[in-house]
Formats: sequence, C-alpha cells, structure tokens
Amino acid sequence: MQATEAELRAWMTDGLDGDAAAHAALLRALVPLLHSFYRRRLRGAEADVEDLVQETLISVHTRRTSYDRERPFTAWLYAIARYRMIDHFRRRKVNVPIEDVEAILVAEGFEDTSSARMDVDNLLATLSPKQAQSIRDTHIEGLSVAEAAARAGIGESDVKISVHRGFKALAARLKGEPS
Amino acid sequence: MNTEQLIQSLSSHVPVVPRHALGRRIGLGLLSGAVVTLVLVVAILGVRPDLHEAMHGFSFWMKWIYTGSLGIAAVFAIIRLGRPTHTSLRGLWLLLIPVLVLAGVGISELATTPSSGWLAMWLGQSWMICPWLVLTLAMPIFIGLLWSFRKLAPTRLRAAGAVAGLAAGAWAATIYCVHCPETSALFVLTWYTLGILLAAGVGALLGPKLMRW
Repeated sequence: MQATEAELRAWMTDGLDGDAAAHAALLRALVPLLHSFYRRRLRGAEADVEDLVQETLISVHTRRTSYDRERPFTAWLYAIARYRMIDHFRRRKVNVPIEDVEAILVAEGFEDTSSARMDVDNLLATLSPKQAQSIRDTHIEGLSVAEAAARAGIGESDVKISVHRGFKALAARLKGEPS
Repeated sequence: MNTEQLIQSLSSHVPVVPRHALGRRIGLGLLSGAVVTLVLVVAILGVRPDLHEAMHGFSFWMKWIYTGSLGIAAVFAIIRLGRPTHTSLRGLWLLLIPVLVLAGVGISELATTPSSGWLAMWLGQSWMICPWLVLTLAMPIFIGLLWSFRKLAPTRLRAAGAVAGLAAGAWAATIYCVHCPETSALFVLTWYTLGILLAAGVGALLGPKLMRW
C-alpha cells in the first residue's frame, strides 16, 4: 500500500524535528513512489531507475531545508524528482525525442492525483472512523467486503451498512446540505 | 550500495531543521558575505570623511533606500527560488517601483539644475569605476549566497543565479554608500544600477554551473 500525503508529511515533519526513525520511515515509503515515477518515464532502463531513486533519496535528505512545512509534501518531492531526472539526462547527454518530453514532464498529473487524494482524505475525515475506514478499504484499496470486515474486526453487513451510510453522508455534504 | 543500506546511512544523521531554517540559511550567507564586503570597503576604499553629516542629508538616504529596497526584493526572490516548487517570478516587477521613484527624483533634479550642469551631475567623479566597484564588492556576498544554496533546491538555476547576483549587487551597493560621495539621483540610477545589473548578469552566467546539485 502506498503511503498517503498525510503520512508522508507527518514523517517529514517529525524528521525535520530530529526524529531519525520517522526520517527512515519516510525514505522507505518514498522508494515505491519514486520507482513508479521514474519507471513510467524511463521505459526499460532499470539500472537508471535504481540510480535515480537513490540519488533522489540523497537529495531529499540533503535538501530538507528547502521544504516548506505549510505546503504539500508530494509536490515538493516530485519537483525534486523531476529535477533529478532532467539533471540525469543532462549528465548522460541523452537526447530525448520531443514526442517523449511531454510524457516525462507529466508530473503535474502526479500533483493532481496527490491533491485529489488529499481531497478524499479531507472528505473521509468528516465521517465516523468506521465509515471512513470501510469506504477506504473497499473503494480505494480495493479489498473485498469480507477482507475489509476481517481487517476491521466487524461483521460483513456492518461494513456494507457503513459504506452505504458513509456515501450517503458524503453525497449530502457535496450537495451542500448540513449533515 | 543497495537502497536499504543507503536509507540506513542517511538516517544515521538526522539534524533538526527548524521552521525558519531556509530564511536563516540565506540570511547567514548574505550576512557573512556582507561583513567581508564591509571590511573591504572600510580597509581599502575608506569611509567617506563626511559620513556623519551625510547621514543627516537627503541624498544618502535616497541611495540607501534605493539599493536597500532592491536588496530586500531580491532576497524574497531568492527565498522563492530556493525551493523546488512555486518558483514563479511574477512578483519581480515590484523591483520597478524603486527604479521609477528614483527616476522621478532624477527628473526633479534635472528641473532644478541648469542644463549646463547636467553632464557633470550625471557622471559625478566616479562614473568610470562605480559600476566595477559594485560588481567587485558583490562577489563576497554572491559567494555567501552560493553557500546558502548548497542546502536549498533551486530548479531554475539561471534565474536563481540571477537573483543571487542581484541581491549581492544591491547589498554591495548599499555597503558601498559609506564610501561613495556622489549625491545625484541620476548618478545612482545609472551607475549603481549598472553595477547591480552586472552582478545579476554574472550570477545568471554562473548559476547553472555553480548551483547544480
């Protein structure tokens, strides 16, 4: 499971306050994110992907001062990842066909996804924990009702009812009705 | 080295980064460079003998407010460009305000001076060396700012170099005021600004080379 913006940001903030364990947790959580970021853009160059992931981890570590605690973490992370990739091309003197440049620079899409995820997080935070967890498990992480029930330690019908009521409350909220 | 080893070695040293670390870092780089520049001005060029009286006059403060406001604006631009995100430079047009205000003062100077005195007023006694002195005195501050940038993450290197040069030039000119005896707004508008722009140009040339990370 990929870490959420809120988790990454909490680890980052704790790391900035000197918590080494949180910093390590952050870097570990970044590995899969960066892997998919680079793999999508450097098709087939597995060794380069591995190098870039490590270089980006080092940059995240050494340039921590440039992170603004008031702003989203993922936007900062992907801006650094993008810089590392452009620098990588520049160093190798790789010429990228112009058709591919767009695919390389689509980091905005990532930022959109991450801010969409933040929106979802904010909306779910308005529900009861049980409803939020049920929706997250079954509709975001793609667990079956049985798996979600087992994970939460409640009955399957309880999960179904929580999802149903949660969605009803969200729909009401999005329509602007007071809950 | 595999990634897990890398993470472990990176996490073995996690210094605290206080909330305003970025501003502090830039301030420290700027200040250490400025101290060197001040020492150079005092030791080599010398403080103008009438500094005390000059500080009660209009032209001294006109110069200080001009170069100081450029310096403050440039520092804000550095704070923006020191982060990888939100690097828009839209606010930089504010730099035109001090330039236009000084131009206004210059026009009123022209109006109150007979036209035979315009050239002497514009060139002063030091127009040939003033821009070069400002450029030279900017270098310690620029080096201080390069040190600041080593912990920052600029993604637009040429722009970052240019605003670092601009800040260095503006603060060097501010310090140079304790030596420079010129009093005319037109002089400052031309030759100080030229020196500051030279420093910004050098910064823009060097930025992509020296600020890469």
